[in-house]
Amino acid sequence: MTETVIELKDVSLTLGAGASRVHVLKNIDLVVRRGEAAGIVGPSGSGKSTLLMVMAGLEGVDSGTVTIAGNRLNGLSEDKVAAFRGKTVGIVFQSFHLIPNMTALENVAVPLELAGRRDAFEAAARELDAVGLKDRVTHYPGELSGGEQQRVAIARALAPSPRLLIADEPTGNLDQTTGKQIADLLFAKAAERGMTLVLVTHDPALAARCSRQIAMRSGRIEGGADAAPSPQRVRA
Amino acid sequence: MPGQLPLALRFALREMRAGLSGFLIFIACIALGVGAIGGVGSVARAIEAGVANQGQTLLGADMRFELNQREADPQERTFLDNLGEVAVSAGMRSMARLENGTDQALVEAKAVDASYPLYGQLVTEPSLPREALFAEKDGVYGAAAPDLLFERLGLAVGGRILLGNQLFELRAKLASEPDAISDGFGFAPRLLLSLDGLRAAGLIQPGSLVEHVYKVRLPAGTTAQEIEAVRSRAANAFPDAGWSIRDRGNAAPSLSANIERFSQFLTLVGLTALVVGGVGVANAVRAYLDSKRGVIATFKSLGASGGFVFNVYLIQIMVIASLGIAIGLVISMVMPLGASAALQSFIPIPAETGVYPAALLLAVVFGVLVTLAFALLPLGRARDVPATALFREMGFESHGLPRLVYVVSAVAIAVALAGLAVGFASDRRIAMIFVGATLFSFMVLRAVGSAVQWLAKRAPRVGSTPLRLALGNIHRPGALTPSVVLSLGLGLTLLVALALIDGNLRQQIAGSLPERAPNFFFVDIQSTEADGFAGFLERQAPDAELMRVPMLRGRVTALNGIDAQKVSVPPEGAWVLRGDRGITYAETIPENATLAQGQWWPKDYAGEPLVSFSAEEAGQIGLKIGDTVTVNVLGRTITARIASLRNVQWESMGINFVMVFSPNTFAGAPHSWLATLTLKDAKSADEARLLNAVTRAYPAVTSVRVKDALDVVNQLVAQLGTAIRAAAAVALVASVLVLAGALAAGNTARVHDAVVLKTLGATRRTLIAAFSLEYMLIGLATAIFALAAGGLAAWYVVATIMKLPSSFLPEVAGLTIVLALVLTVGIGLAGTWRVLGQKAAPVLRTL
Repeated sequence: MTETVIELKDVSLTLGAGASRVHVLKNIDLVVRRGEAAGIVGPSGSGKSTLLMVMAGLEGVDSGTVTIAGNRLNGLSEDKVAAFRGKTVGIVFQSFHLIPNMTALENVAVPLELAGRRDAFEAAARELDAVGLKDRVTHYPGELSGGEQQRVAIARALAPSPRLLIADEPTGNLDQTTGKQIADLLFAKAAERGMTLVLVTHDPALAARCSRQIAMRSGRIEGGADAAPSPQRVRA
Repeated sequence: MPGQLPLALRFALREMRAGLSGFLIFIACIALGVGAIGGVGSVARAIEAGVANQGQTLLGADMRFELNQREADPQERTFLDNLGEVAVSAGMRSMARLENGTDQALVEAKAVDASYPLYGQLVTEPSLPREALFAEKDGVYGAAAPDLLFERLGLAVGGRILLGNQLFELRAKLASEPDAISDGFGFAPRLLLSLDGLRAAGLIQPGSLVEHVYKVRLPAGTTAQEIEAVRSRAANAFPDAGWSIRDRGNAAPSLSANIERFSQFLTLVGLTALVVGGVGVANAVRAYLDSKRGVIATFKSLGASGGFVFNVYLIQIMVIASLGIAIGLVISMVMPLGASAALQSFIPIPAETGVYPAALLLAVVFGVLVTLAFALLPLGRARDVPATALFREMGFESHGLPRLVYVVSAVAIAVALAGLAVGFASDRRIAMIFVGATLFSFMVLRAVGSAVQWLAKRAPRVGSTPLRLALGNIHRPGALTPSVVLSLGLGLTLLVALALIDGNLRQQIAGSLPERAPNFFFVDIQSTEADGFAGFLERQAPDAELMRVPMLRGRVTALNGIDAQKVSVPPEGAWVLRGDRGITYAETIPENATLAQGQWWPKDYAGEPLVSFSAEEAGQIGLKIGDTVTVNVLGRTITARIASLRNVQWESMGINFVMVFSPNTFAGAPHSWLATLTLKDAKSADEARLLNAVTRAYPAVTSVRVKDALDVVNQLVAQLGTAIRAAAAVALVASVLVLAGALAAGNTARVHDAVVLKTLGATRRTLIAAFSLEYMLIGLATAIFALAAGGLAAWYVVATIMKLPSSFLPEVAGLTIVLALVLTVGIGLAGTWRVLGQKAAPVLRTL
């Protein structure tokens, strides 16, 4: 049986306090296996991004267990989760979130440097080459187009060779053509390296490219999708 | 994670590539504070170095022996002559008058012998050989005086004056007297003459207040240890000589002490500037870290720990602070050069140019601690920026306190800062009051800011749109109110306090004091002529009130049998044991004193010597009834028991003595008399007429017009006031910088508001009125606080420490309010003016 990368058991999370208290995730059970590409869809406020944050260890849960790549995250200190994330999870954001005062190369090298890799810059250069930005290594984010910035962000997410790649609306800030190129790149790289890909999207076309769709509504996974379907390989 | 420090440094340097544009105020604040503290310290050290390195010249000797009211006896003189070459001089205050008797002036006469000066150069214009300058020619002796005396008496070189009964020709102007500083600052201009000339003047009488000084040139190569040995030999061989001995290592002790005290006061003011600047540091760090929250969250999403993020930004802040500190150090090093020229007129010591590492190090430490104290809390908050903010595209605002460790560290650093300020001060009590007042103002200003916001929030709905907008701006979240109140309030409070202290002092000196004080002091009235003198004054001014008391000079040598030099005394009481004091004896308690404790001696008392001590000074020194005080008077050592303590009204400016002895103590000792004359409603012309008459009739009596003496004090206070105002100005500049920074930081929000309001139909006039009202209300609240807090501080200093009547000066209040309004409205509108002219559409697109 294919290795389980994400295992959420009976996960619930409430955010805010007082009148603004919202039960964001309600008794979520979810298993995602190695190589799967899961697209989380659903209306705004349904809990998609929060679910992604829980998988990345960025958000703790009130109840239930979160196990990512064999690491149980419940109860880990913030710094231990950060170290875990640096090695195991790659994140791609809708707004790229590159560091403006660092070149493309330095941006990609950041997670490798944080992980103590001596070859951080060589590896970062290889990743930029792999996403087609060999000539842009010394450029600052402000000197790159939106598509190029997202490529740098993907290179940065891929650089530490994480087991899990998560993407929050990765094409949301891009035009259609560029968005498609970025989606192609993301799926191709995840498939090529056998990574598990989980993305949140409002774009039905992008969701359709995933091997599995998880529909959320009001903090729950609709249609009992928490029952793990049969594993399918990521389609490049 | 020490292993990650190099990585944090690398990240920090990468992050700083964007430049320092948001940190100019930060850098300026630190540079200003460090510059002020380091500069004041360097100037003080430069003067001290000047005193130390030129000790021989400033002292005019290797060792200086001073005797009051008597010359050295033959044994003492032999002892001195055996040490090396001796230059003898005598100093006293006296009256120089014109030959025709129409005018007179008080002079500080200094008579020198042929050996003068042993070190340094006496410079006169024209330059004359000693013989030509001082020698007697046809019954007229020569003398030299500075420009001031020539001006006062309307004379030119070659003009003649009478001193005592002797005619002198002013043969040259005195340009430089090398040892002036060690012979004391005078109230009056110097008159340099020969010893023969002074003797001929007939002013040296038994009991006259003459300082006889013996300056000794020791053999070349004499070491400090050998000088110390000479001191011991002098003390052992002549235990009752009562001479005051100084050496080249300590040429001007009171000047050194005053410079030390004043520099520490200015250091505290500089520290206030630095603390005010700290508010700017906190504002800049908070604004910077707010702009970096996205980056911080990204770092965290990529695996960085909170501690790593903290290190990255701490390094950046410290690198930027180092730049400010470096600029401050350059200012510190340059300041002695400028100050040397500025101070030359009233401290005639060439300041030694050089670098003073101890002064600079202290400034650096203060700079680093202030930066840390004010940056730690925003840095601690940055550590806890959640990476989840990246997903939600919101929630970047920082609220509340950071983790306890950062709060505790910031408080610990603030305590260390206060400890350092107090620890380095010579007068710790004043330093503690100063630090306490600053902390108190800080906390109260925070409360004032909140109170202003609270009031604005609860203000009833007003009809005026600009006022409604202004009130809304004052209390809305992220309003400028707290930072403006804090930054401007601290500087303004200090300014108000110093202005009120300065103003009160001047008022006392120029205004109310002379009304209660006598018009004249007469010194050196010989016992034989005392009655005649009193009769003369009664004829000249029948309505005047004359008081006269015996006057001797003596030095406290022991307390309860313990050497006075070895008794530890707080700075406020140390003056009593330093140098010679005027002392007197009286049968009854003096008029302007009351008995606080003990008994006054009976009439015709004939027992052991008794003394009545001023209660306040006795308390400071730690003396009580029954203790013994040993004084050396005219070479005699007298031990008296304290029989009573008196409350002395020093501020009355009448005749007051710390020590009043029982009459039998000085039975038979030669002494002169001191008298005061109070003329009711005397006009200046009456005083001048009386002064002239007294000087003509009693040329040997020294007459001091209180108004003239007060003018001298007033000038001195004015000079000190200038220095204090300069220091306060540094704190105010820091305030203005921080204010400008705080207002500039609010500009983005202001652009947003202005554009939205314009879109909704607001005119430029409405916006200007709204912004002006907002700044005015905040400025006014700050000014009122500054007046209250500064007024309170000034009252404490004037009424409690200086013991003078304190009054609130309306002109200071008016000026403070105007200054606060000009600063807030001026700087505020200058920053938003550009905003008001902007078209709405382009800005709206970027919102």
